[in-house]
Amino acid sequence: METQTNRLEILADKFLRHLGNLKIFLQLLADEVFYTFQYLKKRRGIYPGEVGKQFYFMAYKSFPIVCLITFLVGVTISLTSAAQLKLFGADIYLSWFVGIAMIRELVPLMTGVILAGKIGASVTAEISTMMVLEEIDALKTMGIVPEKFLMVPRLIAITMAIPLLVAIADFVGIFGGVLVARIFLGTPPASFLREMSNIVHLQDFLIGLGKTMIFGWAILISSGYKGFSVERSAEEVGKATTESVVLSISLIILLDCLFAVILY
Amino acid sequence: MEIIKTIDLDIGYGKDLVLEKLNFSIPAGQITIVLGKSGCGKSTLLKSLIGLIPPKKGEIIFKGEKIDFSSEESLHSLYTRIGVLYQNGALLNALTLYENVALPIRMKHQNIQKDVEEHMVYERLSQVGLRESAGKFPSELSGGMKKRGALARAMVLNPEVIFCDEPSSGLDPITSSELDDLLSNLKENLGMTVVVVTHELRSIKRIADRAIVLHEGKMHFSGEYKELLSLSDPFIEAFFLKKGMDND
Repeated sequence: METQTNRLEILADKFLRHLGNLKIFLQLLADEVFYTFQYLKKRRGIYPGEVGKQFYFMAYKSFPIVCLITFLVGVTISLTSAAQLKLFGADIYLSWFVGIAMIRELVPLMTGVILAGKIGASVTAEISTMMVLEEIDALKTMGIVPEKFLMVPRLIAITMAIPLLVAIADFVGIFGGVLVARIFLGTPPASFLREMSNIVHLQDFLIGLGKTMIFGWAILISSGYKGFSVERSAEEVGKATTESVVLSISLIILLDCLFAVILY
Repeated sequence: MEIIKTIDLDIGYGKDLVLEKLNFSIPAGQITIVLGKSGCGKSTLLKSLIGLIPPKKGEIIFKGEKIDFSSEESLHSLYTRIGVLYQNGALLNALTLYENVALPIRMKHQNIQKDVEEHMVYERLSQVGLRESAGKFPSELSGGMKKRGALARAMVLNPEVIFCDEPSSGLDPITSSELDDLLSNLKENLGMTVVVVTHELRSIKRIADRAIVLHEGKMHFSGEYKELLSLSDPFIEAFFLKKGMDND
């Protein structure tokens, strides 16, 4: 009986701790929305030139890996689907499948996962190291709000970087499909693209873009949340960085699932 | 005139109480040392005085105004009047030394003229002997240079009080002595109030006007440093004797 009570207590403690963490996460989300609008209105509270620096890191530095991965994903799903479609003599519909799958689903998902690993991990590592080295305390005692000073430039930069990354990733991913269709099915690129344009519309691109944007914000809030939760030990930095990537990817998949329920 | 006063101050983390019933005052224009054994709560007290850890009970009065830890305005008002030198300097690694020192100026006066900013920054960097290193990043500076750079940043907006957390830790005796001289100059030439958390006996002897001694979670002594030396108290005697031997 006593053991059961202890187990219940442990469970209740865990539940309350998770609830507390959720509250902190949501508080940070609300604060960041507020600070971003406050900055856009007053143009104060962040370091001059920081948005450009972050944009360079997020857009330009992420561009090669996003291109490579989405191209490979485009090629892979085209090859897999081409083999199946060929069995039914429905080769021409490969463009439909690749177009919709890449633009609405795979580009947002893969871009999100890449950004979680690249940007999310870097943001958490940077903020948590600053926590350990008392740089965050130093910012506070200079009258600077660290959650604004560090996060707002990154939120603005990712908002500017994602449309570019998504547009390029869509182009490269579909190019992978065009290539497979040309080489393995003999479909001319013009026919592939003409067929695709019958089924893929601007709305699909906007849905993909919107999803990626929300994934990007989720990554940044998750990485900020994990970074600011570190206290004083250096070993927490590595742990927080790993947890931030896991949290970001889990959130991306959860949000993607929610989008699927809402949009289909 | 006292610049900081605490009334029945209890400080701790979570459910743990680290320090209790602290009643002391820090006079303006003097160097006050907070000393005690490692882990006695010196840095915790400092963090509370600079607005980072809200007290569990009691009050901190800064120039006659109670610090309200639940009010952003009250904390912001405190932050504009203090400068802090952290144990490891806490210079932002992504910025050069010049940018680090200019940071408080840029955040407070966003439209400040470039030449005014340069004058303020270089004046402070010259005072700490780092004018030539302005373009270097913190990773290119030695431990002592980082601390002097952090001191320049702490005093760039002419704060009323400078708080220093273990300024001598990790420094050789010569660099440590140079830093002590800088702190003394702040008091002598700029009339600043300086609060130093340390257990380095050499530094204490060189710069202390007043002392607050913490022991076993309580305030053991608060008053003139000379008075502290004349006390016949087993803990104080043991502290100075042991520390003196360590430092020698």
